[in-house]
This record gives sequence, structure tokens and C-alpha cells, in this order.
Amino acid sequence: MAKVSELRIAGMTLGEITKIYVSSTLGKVSIALFVILIGASIYAAVTLPPNFGSLWNNPLYWQIYPKDAPPAWVNYLSGNGYAPQVMFGREVSTQGSTVRFSFRVDNEYSVPWRDLYIVIKPMSGSSTFTAYLSIRRPDGYVITIGPLLISSMYTEVGTTQQVESQVIQFYLAKYGYMLTVPQGLSAVPYIFSTVSSGSLKPLKGIYVINLTLIANNPSKGIGNRLISLVLEGNVYGLMGTDAVGHDLWLGLLAGFPLSLEVGVVYALISTAIAIAVGLAAGFMGGVVDEVLTRLTDFVILIPAFVILVVLSVLLRLNIWQAMLYLAILSWGGAARIIRSITMQIRTAAYIELAKVGGASNLWILRNHALPQILPYALYLIVVGVPGAILTLAGLNFLNLAGANYPTWGNILYYAEQYGALESGMWWWVVPPGLLIVLVAVTFIVTALAIEPIVNPRLRR
Amino acid sequence: MSMLRGIALRIINLTVILLVVLIVIAAVLSGPASQVLKDTIQRETSEMVTTIMLHHPMTPAQAEQLKQTIIKQLENAYGLNKPVYIRVFYVLFNILSFNWGFSYYPDAYGVPSGSVVSIIMSALPGTIILDTLGILLSALIGIELGLRAALKYGSLYDRAITYYGAVDSGIPQWWVGILMILVFAVYLRLIHSPIVFPYGGIVDPQYYNVWLYDTAKAFINPKILASLLYHMVLPMLTVFIVNIGGWAYFARSVVLNIIREDYVTFARVKGLPQGQIVSRYIMRPAMPAILTSIFISIPFIIFGGFLLTEAVFQWWGLGYVLNIAIVGVPTPDMPVILADTYMSTLLYIVLVFILEILIYYIDPRIRESQG
Repeated sequence: MAKVSELRIAGMTLGEITKIYVSSTLGKVSIALFVILIGASIYAAVTLPPNFGSLWNNPLYWQIYPKDAPPAWVNYLSGNGYAPQVMFGREVSTQGSTVRFSFRVDNEYSVPWRDLYIVIKPMSGSSTFTAYLSIRRPDGYVITIGPLLISSMYTEVGTTQQVESQVIQFYLAKYGYMLTVPQGLSAVPYIFSTVSSGSLKPLKGIYVINLTLIANNPSKGIGNRLISLVLEGNVYGLMGTDAVGHDLWLGLLAGFPLSLEVGVVYALISTAIAIAVGLAAGFMGGVVDEVLTRLTDFVILIPAFVILVVLSVLLRLNIWQAMLYLAILSWGGAARIIRSITMQIRTAAYIELAKVGGASNLWILRNHALPQILPYALYLIVVGVPGAILTLAGLNFLNLAGANYPTWGNILYYAEQYGALESGMWWWVVPPGLLIVLVAVTFIVTALAIEPIVNPRLRR
Repeated sequence: MSMLRGIALRIINLTVILLVVLIVIAAVLSGPASQVLKDTIQRETSEMVTTIMLHHPMTPAQAEQLKQTIIKQLENAYGLNKPVYIRVFYVLFNILSFNWGFSYYPDAYGVPSGSVVSIIMSALPGTIILDTLGILLSALIGIELGLRAALKYGSLYDRAITYYGAVDSGIPQWWVGILMILVFAVYLRLIHSPIVFPYGGIVDPQYYNVWLYDTAKAFINPKILASLLYHMVLPMLTVFIVNIGGWAYFARSVVLNIIREDYVTFARVKGLPQGQIVSRYIMRPAMPAILTSIFISIPFIIFGGFLLTEAVFQWWGLGYVLNIAIVGVPTPDMPVILADTYMSTLLYIVLVFILEILIYYIDPRIRESQG
């Protein structure tokens, strides 16, 4: 016997396994997919703020974001020229009671901005401001808006009665055009339009927006604040926004670590149960085997999804608890496989020999059984993940088994609730599902790539 | 005789499963979750007392006393003052005897009486049609595809089927349903296509009355039947896309094992026609294995998938009713959820039973071992 025993799994050293794995196409694909998933998870963990969950559920935070906006890159595909979200910010630190600054924005879009917000951070309850806006248009005309009372962190400019009448006045004075702003809609798009031959046209070119901010309590002054102007776009970011204004890119990103963690932890737990039950049944035999096999057959048949739905409703489970219940309900198939492998090992001739040689059961278990079962266990872990991810996404789609962070299933639930489907908002319904498929397929491809290693008969 | 014994054993086995599922749910309902019911009673009583106070002015003390009396009576009526194990049997007995009570939100379902029995019964035909047709047809198509792939082992077609089958089990069926609606209902309308499909539903709205109250009559009326088929196209396509791959994958791997057997080679050498080899020497021994492997995956993938697919297509079945009971109403509609769970578990068990009988008939090894 060799002094240094090398770790061998299914008769191969780790080096050999890696070689086989990397040399197969499926292995390469699975490694690439895993790199993507883990990279996205790390990126999400690093970039998302720690309180992202509460931010996501706070509609006030998202109010300056466009609602139902497609991703910004649709402009490249359609050439429609939707104006994207634009934000100008300036740190102000002054004891004076007035600040004045100007921003330039180039309107090269045929569908102009929807609305304008003035954002002041931080904003305490006692101090209020008065704001004046004057917008110099490419045609030389100037629209003045104000005075606007600013008493909260976010001030929406477009829909106030006063702004509407000021814009209407402007059109009447300059073009003699009777503008009608539809009820409840913002007047801001008309700031970026002109009248040509009796109808409204977008006016392209450079706009200069001057903002004058006056503190209503001169003794306090403006103080240290971040003052921003936000032009609400028609398209937003990489993945667009939903009806609340959530940046879907962030929501999708948050789903990566969550679904990976939940899926892998589920697979570990359920495989652990399966190994315990399968080994016990296979090794002990007799009554124990009979009982455990019955139990396994029973667990295989249990309709886990329906039970999970009811338990989630009744016990208000979160996603981790639901994952745990799922693991408890669905180890049956894996246990059956482990048991049959164990039976094969137990009846092998070398085990007889070891027994004759005086080996204890525990020794046989450790030295003969476990090394042969472990590769299967690894395989079962990988195979188990997709099912859990799909099941939990299904629960999330029913708005059950929630998490602090948005989950892909939950994003789809809200899409369904807000009628994103009927209005054809593909950017809201397609990506979350694609990501669920991506994670599930990653594990499926990995399972296919491991199969020849685990099952020597498939090796070629 | 032996066959009867085998079947009887299976029935007992499956009944035990049904009972265990129900007992678990009943135990949770009367144990940890009874707080839900208590909260509901509290809330409803407060509302009731407020309404009464509008017409009969009372002192706060009187109102509080009235509230406590009503709560006590309601808790009595719901059996909340009894010990847990008694309540478990209460719940169990009520479910099993179809004494399902009334929905908390009768208006949400469009079935006027609001009795849970009539809601669930009206939903049953839709689920049975979609599930049985879906499973049967996708099984037939899938096995055929898998068989052909195995016969052309190594070809491009074979590899395509293999990858499709492998990836298929990682696709959420309900999401494919969403894509179907997006493409074939929404976008086809946008481009003014002459052929469009409905957003959802089981029949055209004007036929719902017939469908909900007299489903048998709906099947005789050719117009309603046509409407049903028209509404079934997208859900059925969804079911096919997601389920055919799995069947094909299993069928392929089983057939591949059998093709290498000596007796198949011998049959070929003997010069038997291909059709006969396939039907008699390959498919006969392959069927039990295919059925068994699907059997294991049914509870996990097919079962959950179908319920949510119904919800996506607003297909009037158990899944859609469950969806309404959970998210379509302000608070979870417990009576409907319970009855729906019971009914879908029952349906599932009947399906499993049919499948087991099928395997039993097809597989001589099981037949013989039972004797």
C-alpha cells in the first residue's frame, strides 16, 4: 500500500477530473455560465446599498424615476429618439439666502422629457424655499416659471396649476396657439415643443435652464445642500423601469445572489437528508430499510408545491423558510438513488473481504462507501438546484415567500398585477424570466458535464 | 386476484398521502395559523360594531362589551375555544365531507352563491381538460421525438433534442405562458395581424354563464366548444413547449439503453422491418421505464407548473381560482385555498393512480412480482 494516499473520486485524481471537465464543451459552457452568475452576484453585493430592500419598497424614493419606461438602448434599435433621464446636481454651501445656477441640456429627441423635478437634500421640515425657473429655448424665447414653493425633498414641477397656466400663457403670447394640457398630465413636454403650421412639433437644440432658489427664512440661509434638477425621461437605464419607477436593472441584479444562495442551500440540505436516509436504508437493511423505503416512496409522491403554497399563506413564510420546507418535502428521489448505490456497494465482494478482515461498519462506511457516494452526492446537489429555483420563483410569482430584496418571481408578480403584459412592456416581463432560466440552465449544464465523471460508464 | 390486490395496495397508499397532506394542513391551520382566523374575527367585529354605532349611539364601554360578546360567539362558532387536536379533526372532517363553507370574498370569483363547493366544482372541468390533454399529448409527442432521436443517435437532430430536453426542465412554464401572451395576443394585435389570440380566459365572456353553471351543456354547444378550443391554443402550446422536452429526453435515454441489447441486434439481423423492431422490441420494454421516470418528476415540475400556467392565462381552473384566492383579494381567502388544495391534491392523486395502473399493465415484471 502506498504511504501517501491520494484523494481519488470515482477512481480519478482531482487533476484528472478537472481535465475531463474542462476538456468537454459542456464543461466549458458551464464554467462560463458560473463565472457570469458569480460575477453578477459579487457585483450586486458590492454595488447595491445595504438598505436596498427598504429603498426598493419605498415608493417616494422612486418618484423622480420615469414610470413604465423602456431601457435607454431602445433608441439605438428604433431610432425613435426617446429622451433619457437627465439629472444635474450641485453641492451648495452658503450662508446667503439666494443661489442661482444654470444647466444646459441638448434636446435631440423627438419625444421630449415628461416632467421636471427639483430635489433638495437634506430637507428638514422647518425650512422652505421659493424657486424660479427660466428656460431659454433654442429659438431664443424664454419661458419663466415660478414662484414655486418648495417644502419637501422632491418637488414635481410639471403638473401644478400654476406651471400649466404659465406654459399656456407662453404659447398664447408667442404663437397665438391655444394649448390644452390634458388633465393630470405634466406641462413640461410642451416646454420642449414649438408650434409649426398650426400643430405641435418637438423643438430640438440647446436649452439653458436657470434655477434661482431663495430661502424663505433669510436668517437661516440656504446652508449645505445638494440641489438637483431631474428631467424625467421616457427611457431609463439598462433595463428600464416599472410602474412604480423602480430601476429594474437594480432589482434584477439583487436577484442573483439571492436565488443562487437559496438554490444551493436548498440542494445542500435536501441532499444531506437524502444521504442520511439512503445510507441508513442501504446499510442497515431489514426493518429500517423497509420503513425508510416506504417513507422515501411517500415523500416522492407528496405534492410539494401545493403544500408550500398553503404553508406560505398560513405561516407567512419568507423565502428562506419556504426553502427549508421545500427541502424537507423533496429529498425523496435523491434518497432512492443513494440507497440503490449503497445496496450495490454493500453487496460487493471487497466489502465481504473487509468484513472478514475485521473491519468495523464505520470503517467500511468511511473508507468504502462514502468515497463512492460523494460524487453522486455532488451530482445530486447540482441537479437539485434548478427545481428549487423554479419552485420558489413560482411561489414568488404568487407574491408568497417574500424576501427583503426583490426577487425575479416577485418582479413578475407585480408585472402581472400592473398589466405590464397587456400593454406589451417586454422589458418588465422578459428579463426576470430569462434570468430564472439562466440560473436553472447553468446548473443543468453543469449536471450534464459532471455526469460522465460520476458515472464511469458514460466516459468515452 | 393478484392484480386487484396490487391496485388495492396502491389505492391505500395514495389515500394515506391525501390524508397526510390534509392532516398537515389542518394541523397548521388549527395550530400556528389560528391567529389568522382570530385576527380576521377581531377585524370584522370592529367593523361590525362601528357600523352598528352609526345607527345606535353607545358609550365606548358598551361598544367594547358588545365587541367582546360578538368575538366570543364567533370564536365559539369557529371552534377556536376548543383544544387543538379537536380542531384538527373538525377541519379534517369538514374538508372530507365537502362542507367547505363560504368564500370571504364571494364577488371575486363571479360564481354568485359564493359557496366554496360551487366555486371549486366550476373550476374542476377546466383543470381536468388542460392537465390531462396537456400531459397526454405532450407525452405522446415527446416520446415519439425521443424515440426518433435515439434511432438517429449522434445526428444533429439527436443533439438538438438532447439539449432541448435538458434545458426544458429549467424553464418556468408560467413564464413561457407570459411570453406566449406577449407575442401572440399583444404583439400580433399591435401589428394588426388577421389572426390574434385571446389575452386569457377559458371561453368568450358571453359564454361564462353556461360554462360556470352547466359545463356539460357547454360541450354540446358547438360555438362554445369552438371558443374553448380557441382559448386553449396558447395554454396548450405553452404546456407543449415546456413538457415535450422532458418526455423526449427520458424516452431517448431509455431507448438508447435498449437499442444496445442483443435481442434488438438479433431482430435486425433477422431482417424484421424497422417498424416492427421499434414497436415490439424497443418501445414495449422502454415504456415502463419512461413512465416511471416521468412519474418521479410529476409532483415537482408538472404539478406546480400547471397551476401557475392556469393563473397566467386566467384559465378557469383550480390554479386560477387559487391565484385569485391568494392575491386577487385583500386577505387570503382561506376556505377557498383549503378546498382548492384538497381538490388539486385529489386530482393529482387520481392522475398518479392512473399512471401507476398504466405502468402496472405495461410492465410484466411488476405484474409478476405482485402475484
